[in-house]
Order: sequence, then C-alpha cells, then structure tokens
Amino acid sequence: MTGTPTAQAGPATTGAQASPQTGTIYQPDLVIVEAIVDETPDTRTYRLRFADAAKAASFSFRAGQFGEYSVFGAGESTFCIASPPTRTGYLECTVKAAGKVTGGLREVDVGDVLGFRGPYGNVFPVEEWQGRNLLFIAGGIGLAPVRCVIWNVLDRRDSYGEVTIVYGARSVADLVYKRELEEWAARADVRLVVTVDPGGETPDWSGEVGYVTPVVEQTAPRPDNAVAVLCGPPIVVKLTLPVLEGLGFADDAIFTTLENRMKCGVGKCGRCNIGSVYVCKDGPVFTAAQIKTLPQEF
Amino acid sequence: MSDETIDDRVEGAAEAETIDFANDDDVAAPRRRLLLTHEALAALVAELAAAGTPAVAPAWAGDAGRAAGATAAARETEYRTVSGAAELAFGERLPRLSLKQFFLPPTEVLFSWRRSGGGVELVSAPTTFEDQVVLGARPCDVAALPIVDKVMNWDYADELWNARRAATTIFGLSCGVEDDSCFCSAVFLEPAASRGSDGRLTPVEGGYLVETFTDKGEAFVAGHDALFTELAAGADGAALDAQAEGFRAAARERVAANLQVDHGRLRDWLDHHFDDPFWASLGPRCNGCGVCASVCPTCHCFDIVDEPESVGRGVRRRNWDTCQTCVFTLHASGHNPRQDQNARFRQRVEHKFLIYPLKFGDVLCTGCGRCSRACPTGQDLAEILADIDALAAAGEAAS
Amino acid sequence: MTELQDTARRLLDEGAVRVVIGWEGGRLGARPAFVTSAADCDRLIFDTRCVHNLATFLNPRRSQVAGLGKAAVVVKGCDAKAVAGLLREAQLERDGVVLIGVRCGGVVGEPSALEPPALTAENVSSRCWGCDVREPGSVDVLVGEARPEPPVTAALDERVAALDALSPAERLAFWTKEFSRCTQCYACRQACPLCFCERCIVEKTEPQWIETSPHPRGNFAWNLTRAQHLAGRCVGCGECERACPVGIPLGLINRKLQQVVYELYGYTVSEDPTVPAPIGAYATDDTQDFIR
Repeated sequence: MTGTPTAQAGPATTGAQASPQTGTIYQPDLVIVEAIVDETPDTRTYRLRFADAAKAASFSFRAGQFGEYSVFGAGESTFCIASPPTRTGYLECTVKAAGKVTGGLREVDVGDVLGFRGPYGNVFPVEEWQGRNLLFIAGGIGLAPVRCVIWNVLDRRDSYGEVTIVYGARSVADLVYKRELEEWAARADVRLVVTVDPGGETPDWSGEVGYVTPVVEQTAPRPDNAVAVLCGPPIVVKLTLPVLEGLGFADDAIFTTLENRMKCGVGKCGRCNIGSVYVCKDGPVFTAAQIKTLPQEF
Repeated sequence: MSDETIDDRVEGAAEAETIDFANDDDVAAPRRRLLLTHEALAALVAELAAAGTPAVAPAWAGDAGRAAGATAAARETEYRTVSGAAELAFGERLPRLSLKQFFLPPTEVLFSWRRSGGGVELVSAPTTFEDQVVLGARPCDVAALPIVDKVMNWDYADELWNARRAATTIFGLSCGVEDDSCFCSAVFLEPAASRGSDGRLTPVEGGYLVETFTDKGEAFVAGHDALFTELAAGADGAALDAQAEGFRAAARERVAANLQVDHGRLRDWLDHHFDDPFWASLGPRCNGCGVCASVCPTCHCFDIVDEPESVGRGVRRRNWDTCQTCVFTLHASGHNPRQDQNARFRQRVEHKFLIYPLKFGDVLCTGCGRCSRACPTGQDLAEILADIDALAAAGEAAS
Repeated sequence: MTELQDTARRLLDEGAVRVVIGWEGGRLGARPAFVTSAADCDRLIFDTRCVHNLATFLNPRRSQVAGLGKAAVVVKGCDAKAVAGLLREAQLERDGVVLIGVRCGGVVGEPSALEPPALTAENVSSRCWGCDVREPGSVDVLVGEARPEPPVTAALDERVAALDALSPAERLAFWTKEFSRCTQCYACRQACPLCFCERCIVEKTEPQWIETSPHPRGNFAWNLTRAQHLAGRCVGCGECERACPVGIPLGLINRKLQQVVYELYGYTVSEDPTVPAPIGAYATDDTQDFIR
C-alpha cells in the first residue's frame, strides 16, 4: 500500500459526525476520485479525497466504519471504508459491480466527483487488542473491511503480537489487493496464507488450493491471547465460526462485520435491522457472541 | 452514534420489562380553557385561509369516489388545507391518511445536483417552513408525532422532519371512538389524549371547549383572540366542563372494550418466539401490499432514490416505503433476509411492539385502527395482539 | 354453506389438498381463510361480504402460501376468470389446484360488516352488473344454492361514459387530480391476481423505466403502465380499487380498457382458459388496420 502512515489518529468521532457544511444529514460531501485500481475483473478500488480542504483536514474515522457513497444520478450505496484510519488525506472503498450504483461506478473516471456521507457505524476495538495476537480471515471481497484493520495494525506493528492472515478467493483472478498480498507475504512479521478454491489455481500458482475453512483448520492458529477478525460471504462466515470455536477461540474474541441492505445509514429508514439491532447504528461490527443472540434474519 | 454496544442493550432488556410508558413528554394541565363556538370556528378557518395560511383540518374528500360499489354513507375524509367551514369534517369518519404526510411527505427532495465544469454542485432542500396550524386532528394521529420524533433524532437529527414539526401548531379534537378497530387505550393513550398537542378541542353544546397546553397553543389563541371566549365562571362554565368530561369518559369506556394487553408479556413473547408457527398463520393472508404502512401514523420507513431530471442534473428524493414489500431487504446479490410474507409480517409486529419499545421506550403504534380497516385481506391488529398476549399468558401459566 | 364446508372437509380428509383457501367471518367482517384441518372447515362461509378475489393467493411467488401445499380455492365466477387468466398465461397447472365454485348472487363493495348485508343498487359491487358467470363453469366442484340476480347498477359504465364526454383537457385534469393522491404504494398491484411478475417493471432499476417517486410524472407513468399491462387481462374484480388507501377510482380506467378491447377485438375475458386473449395470442387473420 502506498503512502507512509501518519501519527496515530486521535480519538475520533465514532458516530455523530460534525454536521456537513450545508444541507441535511442526507446530503453528502463531495469527493474527487484520485485513483482507480482494478482488483479483479469485476472489482475496483477507488481512492477518494474530499473536495473541500477543511473537510479533508478534519475528517477522521475508525476501522470498521462505513460510508454511503454517491454516484449522482445512479444513487447511493454502502461500502466499508477500506483504507486504514492511520493513512490520512484520502479514503478508499472496494466495490464489486452488482447493481445500479455499483454498475454506475464502473463508468467513473479519475477526476470525477462522487459523494460521501459518513463515517457511520461502530468500530473494531483495535486499541483494546494491543499486545494480543491477531488472526485475520477473509473470503473474496470480504477482505476489504479486514484490510482496513490489517493496515491499521501494521502501521502500529510494535503494539501487537503475532499477525496471521488467511485469505481465499474463488480463483487467482478473484483475489483482491494482489499487490498488498505480495507486500504482506514479503514481511517477516506477518504470516500470510493465501488460497484459491479447487479449480481456481493457475499453473504457476504457489499458494494453497482449498476452501478458506479447511485452510484455516490446516493453518491451526493458536487461540492463546488471540483475537480473530473474520469477513466474507455468508457461507464462509457460517462454516468458519465453528472451526474457530473448535480451535479454542472464545465467542467474544471473534469479530465480524455484517452487511445488510441500507439506505440512510443513520438508523431512520427502517431497513437494515436484524431483530432489535440496526446494522448501521448498532453494527456493522459484531462479535460471534453477539451474533448468536440475533434472530436468523440475515 | 451512542456508545451503547449490543451487550448493553441486551443487558438493558431486563430493564425494558419495566419501561415506564407513562408518556414522559405528556403535557401538563391545561393553561387556559376557552370556548370556541361553531360560528367562531368557521370564522377562524376563513380568517386563516384569507391570510394565506389555511389550516389543515379533517375535511370531506373532494375526489371522485371509488367506482366499485361504495355506499353513499361511505364518503371519505382526509386531512388537508381548508378554505371554508363547509369543507370541515370534524368528528366524522377518521381521515383516511394520518398527519404523517405533513411531516414526512410521500416524496421529498433532499437535495439537487448539477454537473458543471468538471465538478458537481449540490443545492440542499430548504429546512425552514412556513408556520402551519392543524385544527381538529385525532389524538391518535397527534400522539404519533412525538413517538416518531425519537427515531428522527436518534443521534442524528433529521432536519426536515424537525423543521416541519417546529413550524406546526396542533390542536387535537377529543375523539368519540371510531369503531371496533381502534385501541388507543391499549397503547398508553386514550380518545382525548393530549400527547403531542399544543391544544385540544372537545365537543360541547354550541361548539368546542378549547384547552391550551403549550406556548405555541397559547400564541395561536392569542393571535385570534376575538374568536375565543373565556369559559364563564359558575354554573355555565361548570356545565360545559361536565359535558366535555362526559364526552371524554364515554369514549374512554367505549375504546377500552376493544383491546387490553400486557405489554411486558407481549414484548417478552415477541423476543423469544421469532420462529413460532404463529407467524405462518398470519403471513399467507397478507398481500404484501403495505397499505397498513401507508395509512399508519407511526410507520416512517423510507426509500432514497436519485432521479435525473435532465442531462447532467437531477434530485435525490426520499419516498415512503414499507417493510412489507418483497424487495425491501433484497440485496443486490439476490440474497433476501426476509424471504416470505411470514417473515415480513413478523417484522412489522416486532418493530412496533418489541424493537421500538426497547430502543426508544415507546410502542410504535397509537391504536388508530387504520391498518385493520384498510387491509384488503382483513388482517386485524387488535386481534393479532390479543392472540399473542393469549399465547404469552398460556406460556406463563405453563411454566 | 354446509355444502361448501362438507366439500372442503372431504378434500382435506382424502388428502386431495393440503389447504382450502376460502373465506371466514371475523371480528371485522369477512376475510380470506387458509384451512388446513378438517376440523376447521366450519369456519368457511360464503355470503355477500365475500368480496375478495382469492385467485390472488395462487400467485406462485407467494411462497408462504405455496408452502402450505396443494390448495383448493373457493371461487366466484369473477374469481374463476382470474384463475383462467393464470392458467392461460402458464402461471398454474390445472391439476395443481382444485377449484370449488360457488353460485353467486353478487357481493357488496366492502367486506366489513358483522352480518351479511342484503344487496341494494347502492351497495352492490359494480363488478356484479351484467355478470355472466354466476355459476362458474370451469371448476371441479360447484356448491351453493342458486341465488337471485344481483340488483342492477350501471353506475360504472355511466361514469366511464361521463369521462368520455369530457374534452381531453378536462379528462387530463380529472386524472391529474385523482393521481395526485397516489403514493405509489403498489397495493393495487399486490391485490391483483394478474399482477404476478417476479420483478415488476417499476422495480427494475437498470434503467429505472418508471419513476417510483409519487409526483405527477411518476404517478401517471405507474398507473397508466399498469393499466396497459392489464388491458385484455383484467377481470374487473375491483380488488385494486378496494385496496387503494386513498380511493383512486381505478375501476374507471380498467373498465374503459375492457370496453376498448371489446371494441377492437370483440373479446371479453373468458372463464375458459383455452380461449386465447388478444394480447398473447397470434392469428394470421388478426386485423392490421392500426398499421398505417
């Protein structure tokens, strides 16, 4: 990842943002597309900076939070902030083309103006994890929110114990953040295991072949003093949680981030709740212990 | 965003059993008591219209009327601005939509955008509104407003809702109870509830007893001083008082017969019976049409859409929406957490009687009964609540 | 009524169906009922309050109904026409449903009365005028006593004629005013047995063919598109209008289109699913005089 980390971002607002310069809570700030990276055939990372200098200077967020990104004319869509809070001056989102807004994003060029509302939602308690060993597990584009935490941690490497990353995608082409995977692989202070589904390997593939869940089992991470961060398609999360429990990870030491259909992002439009929990306000970050209390409605 | 984690909320649930629903922002005793005759009311309506600030009031619907065999007696009423007393429908049928449309319009522009140069200009929707008065609204419609205020100010303040609220003065009209579908007294209200109102009218001989509760109510009366008369001291005043109280008491008794439930027990059942077969007994009948949400004073779910208006410019709007449609929670991936009407109907009941109370200390329902009257397939909310309460009671007895 | 209940009981006992969809009396009037056990069959009623078109519940997308298993559905003649529409358009297999026809003497406009009202020219539903299917013919079982003809009311056709007599500008003003109340809630669509599309045109976003916002432009687009999509298919059951929370007289549009289809194609919706509808059927001798 380019750019050097800056000093630790101070205690940031975790929620009620300073009201935008003009307009209601539903009006975004303008952001300019600085760079676009093709991660996979259908997934891109957009690097954005605020058009307004004062907003750019004052904006901060914490790992786990998301934003509502506007493609004016197509609409708004919810994506996590995929860049870490330790890198200021820009923010990134990683987007897979799936519908109207994400499809509209494919038409966007460097220099175009989009909208951003946020940061919304709760956070990964990254500060509380200092001194602990960290296990990151992700599947497919689920690596985006996890990547935010990974860089947050790597930018403060000395404050954390062992860092293990297990990442899998359907095929080599579907791996996101390929250059960063190479960077992490090259670091002596990170253990990286990358896998593709059986049949997804290329002839020169030197990583693992297998679904994420059995690869996690093989990797046999130790639960001692460890925290796990897990994100991926529902099936990956569903199958990997019992594996982690089997390895001895406590339910409140396993963190994931949920997504649900959202519109307002601020708890009013009534759309994103799972039982009594609003993913946009009470989430999107939850522990496995909390997930178990939720009705199976996601 | 509050720092409350889900754990806090789960722990707090035990306290939720003892949520004190005594309306914490219920108004105090009336400040002034006045008489407004029928003639004076007509003059008031005319005065307001002439000043270019017509009142919103229950009025006879001015439309063509349904084609398919409605009877003459079924002429409908609606809340709208009125220009003369002839339009007023005080104490007639419950207006078909609630007051919600005046605070959360069916469609509302949030901002407009325009591409210019290489950039984009945004113009925000205005967040100040002309003062408006509502006369003669049903208490169930008025009480809905402070209830919805809570979600509209949950950490983030919805400026559009709040501005409309601030600009509006509301005089309720004590209700004589519409029919068997109402149940305001089962949701911490009553037919003469003053919650959310700046003043209240109660029918008496010759006109209305008017009480003011707030500064806004006082200011409105002061602005039309000549039309209100102080309640006479002595026997005349006492007689009118007695009439008003008699009207209100009869209404209370009538509506109480429609439904009584134990809300703590209800919430507890809802919290622990997510997969109960009871939901499969309700889902099949439901059309998923969402008429219940349209007519409901407290339903507030909305959609946000971008709407191009010309090349390079357009608006972003929010529009009424409902959890009852099949696409409400549909992900772009095709995954839908609520796959059938059993799940969607359950969401409606849970939102109103479990989730909103847990989060905001209020039931998201004022017992107006519109959903039951309007439902094309006869879903009867009072019956549903009674059934759930019965299940809950049976469960308690068994344990 | 006993004949209806006995029929339902027999079908359930024999295992011919898993659920009987009919009407029951409730606290607030008649409403649809889903009876799955023989013991509950005495809930089933048929009287002048039984307005609802139960064919709507046969929409295959309603998985919570389909999940109850093979159904028998009680149908009046107008409802049977809607079932015929579903069969004609391949939404149902004929042997996938059992049809219990009821002899009908008309229904009122609204189901909400504690006791079944006697029919008068004022309260009878406009769909009943000129009804030619008071004994539905395409059903598996026909129950109930023969009933007298419903009171005559030509009110719907008179109102359509009155609209036709207006100038285009006046008619536009009329509908602009009526549609101004529309909130695009889509209750009309949900109540309609023939609006069965998996993904309605108004829900398609790439591109957004019809604006979902309830302003005049969006409301005209929605209501007129829906009317067009129903032309030649609408059975005139009036459920759309009954469902509308703001009382838009949708019956006037649907009736007008029924008249237009009849004028152009000599066709009225048939209870016989093998009779092809003008839209959706092609014959080499179809008139082509609209091609100029």
